[in-house]
Amino acid sequence: MSQAAPPATAAKPRPVLSPATVLRRFGPLLGLLLLCGVLGGASDRFLTADNLLNILRQSAVNLLVSLGQLVVIITAGIDLSVGSILGLCCVMVALLMHVGVPPLISVAVALAIGAALGAINGILLTKLHLPHPFIPTLGMMNVARGLALVISGGFPISELPSGFRFWGAGSIGWIPAPVILVLLFCTAFSIFLNRTTIGRDLYAIGGSPQAARLSGVPVDARLILVYALSGLTAAAGAMVLAGRMNSGFPLAGVGGELDSIAAVVIGGASFLGGVGLVSGTVVGALIMGVLRNGLNLLNVSPAWQTVVIGLVIVAAVWVDVVRQRASERGQE
Amino acid sequence: MLEVRNISKSFSGIQVLDDVTLDVRRGEVHALVGENGAGKSTLMNIVSGVVPPDSGQILWDNRPVRLEGPRQAQAMGISFVHQELALVPPLSVAENVFLGRHPATKGFVNFREMHGATQRVLSDLGREIDPRRRVSELSLAEKQLVEIARAVAFESRLIIMDEPTAPLAEHDAAALFRSIRLLRARGVGLIYISHRLKEIFEIADRVSVLRDGRHVSTQPTEEVSHQTLVRAMIGTDLKEQLGSSAAGSTQFDEALRIQGSINLTLRRGEIVGLAGLAGAGRTHLLEWLFGARGTRAADVFVHGRRARLCTPLDAVRNGFALVPDDRKTKGLILGASVLWNMALASGRSRFFIHRSHEKQAAQQWIRALRINVAGLNKPAVYLSGGAQQKVVLAKWLLAGARVFLLDEPTRGIDVRAKAEISDIIRTLAGDGAAVLLASSELEELMALADRIIVMHRGRIAGELTRAEATEEQIMHLATGGAY
Repeated sequence: MSQAAPPATAAKPRPVLSPATVLRRFGPLLGLLLLCGVLGGASDRFLTADNLLNILRQSAVNLLVSLGQLVVIITAGIDLSVGSILGLCCVMVALLMHVGVPPLISVAVALAIGAALGAINGILLTKLHLPHPFIPTLGMMNVARGLALVISGGFPISELPSGFRFWGAGSIGWIPAPVILVLLFCTAFSIFLNRTTIGRDLYAIGGSPQAARLSGVPVDARLILVYALSGLTAAAGAMVLAGRMNSGFPLAGVGGELDSIAAVVIGGASFLGGVGLVSGTVVGALIMGVLRNGLNLLNVSPAWQTVVIGLVIVAAVWVDVVRQRASERGQE
Repeated sequence: MLEVRNISKSFSGIQVLDDVTLDVRRGEVHALVGENGAGKSTLMNIVSGVVPPDSGQILWDNRPVRLEGPRQAQAMGISFVHQELALVPPLSVAENVFLGRHPATKGFVNFREMHGATQRVLSDLGREIDPRRRVSELSLAEKQLVEIARAVAFESRLIIMDEPTAPLAEHDAAALFRSIRLLRARGVGLIYISHRLKEIFEIADRVSVLRDGRHVSTQPTEEVSHQTLVRAMIGTDLKEQLGSSAAGSTQFDEALRIQGSINLTLRRGEIVGLAGLAGAGRTHLLEWLFGARGTRAADVFVHGRRARLCTPLDAVRNGFALVPDDRKTKGLILGASVLWNMALASGRSRFFIHRSHEKQAAQQWIRALRINVAGLNKPAVYLSGGAQQKVVLAKWLLAGARVFLLDEPTRGIDVRAKAEISDIIRTLAGDGAAVLLASSELEELMALADRIIVMHRGRIAGELTRAEATEEQIMHLATGGAY
């Protein structure tokens, strides 16, 4: 990752890991560990291998969706449609398999639908010059959810082939299959964002769209790609969810856009664009997963869980702001 | 009127001001010059109450005062007209002038009084702007005037201006000077910060020089020369002053030719100047050439071959470079590291980034252009203006550009960096690149350019060779005079 690169000027050696750097790079991770410690102390069922694996399995869907959301937020955008795209793809894949389409092809079609809907978001944003990604993705959020309800008639489509269910509910050895899938996605996205020229273009667009354009970055094409990726990861999340629930249900992913935005932001990405890492987003999604799981174990009602998560989002970003200010003061 | 005595200030152990003493008299324009980092801004921030001094005294009307903040300084009659104007664009001129203290009766804004007062203040400054107009519709020069009007409406007796002419074309600057003279005649004291020494001789009564946080000299302007001022600012003679050199026009190969609504040819190894008043279309022409402004009825030939330049990416692929007028929003990604900024225009044909290769190339250009950076991974926002501009140039050198479109490349940077960038531009041309250089500073154009193209209202009004070009000739064409 770019921040991890050694200092370029050999003339000025500096400590590799100053306390400030540790806090900056590992702040969210420390928060996660602290949270685990507290919950482990409060409930003896929390820190068991079964429960921890369960958390990973439960976080997999949000994590997949969050990876796409991260890429969007890096370009200073936002994607409100991911939850609905997830719902539509969830229904579509189940429906296709029910009418006899082989699972592999059903999955491919569902992923393609997700990516295509995302690309439409990007095209609306760039070619129709809608003023802010909020607008096209808000529209898509309603359209996709409505279509999911229309196509399914409002009812879940259950009993899916076991080969398909494996990626949501199965395990390889003791590792849940969705966790392996998520790891693959995270690795690919991390390489994409940090090691490829396109990835760097995305940070540039988020940092200053004008400067990026005047440096030869094809901004429109990149943005369409970004929203297509976001639709694709939402569809991937749908595959895992449908597999785990053994059902394609039209209300899948309601509120998913907000969970993914929360994970990305807790993970240290900036709404202003140009900042954000896959590692941070992983930690952000895990913090959300651990909180939900721990509060469940402690028999906190879902209503209060929502309150806690709301506070955590605000607190996490506030800590980030304080840290940023401190480091800016240090630089001047 | 204002006197600062033995002011010292240090930030995190670095002495920024060291025992500086200065006074400003009633009805005086007092110029303050010095390289970037000489301590001018810090001194002005102290005078306007933004930061407190570590030691020393501030006297206002011969009485020592302690400034607790900018509001107090303002209440005393000290106003600071910042380079980045602090106006609210969607509001009217009058509302901006009276921002935060609208004349009101029982909580209702008295618009008639506000508009009348605004009109009076503006006509005192020798200019007419309708107080009801929105600030967003005004030209830069007019916006600046609104900012000054605000200071006058506050009944400020001391107005500090930081590089007020940096964004202005010459004739707007002349209008600004008229306003300054009117203020001076009414007994207002002015501290005038500028890098353009020529202006200082035109407008200032006395000039003070700061160097490395120390006060070097204060003299009446008549008693100093351009040469002595520059020497006082940098401590020694500049190796190469603006002017002289430039390669004698040899045989040039055509690098760029435009035919159509605008006709223009640019040859390899040539520096062509682009002059014109603000709004004459220089920026538009450069950005259009770069594919950033859509299409227009003209054919473009690059190195003799017809080229489609519809997007900036097309332009980059054809070896074009654009150094935009506003490096902070268009030239750089301020939050990104120096290395990223330098690599931004290159390597797009590859899928994976070649990091070690990039780093090596970047370091090479940092040495070649003598860019003062703390580290390749430091965000560009922390660099000085001169270093930032060099990073923009390095970005294009890294991308292997051969046609350079430069829009005000030395705006708002200090004397030394200015001279260095001028050197870089000459070197570029010497190496066979073609350079189209837009500048509001005629001196700079006449020093660097082989030919000068003058624009007026979006069209080319005429072309002058290096030998023909005089300030009068250029201004004649730029203001719509016949060719």
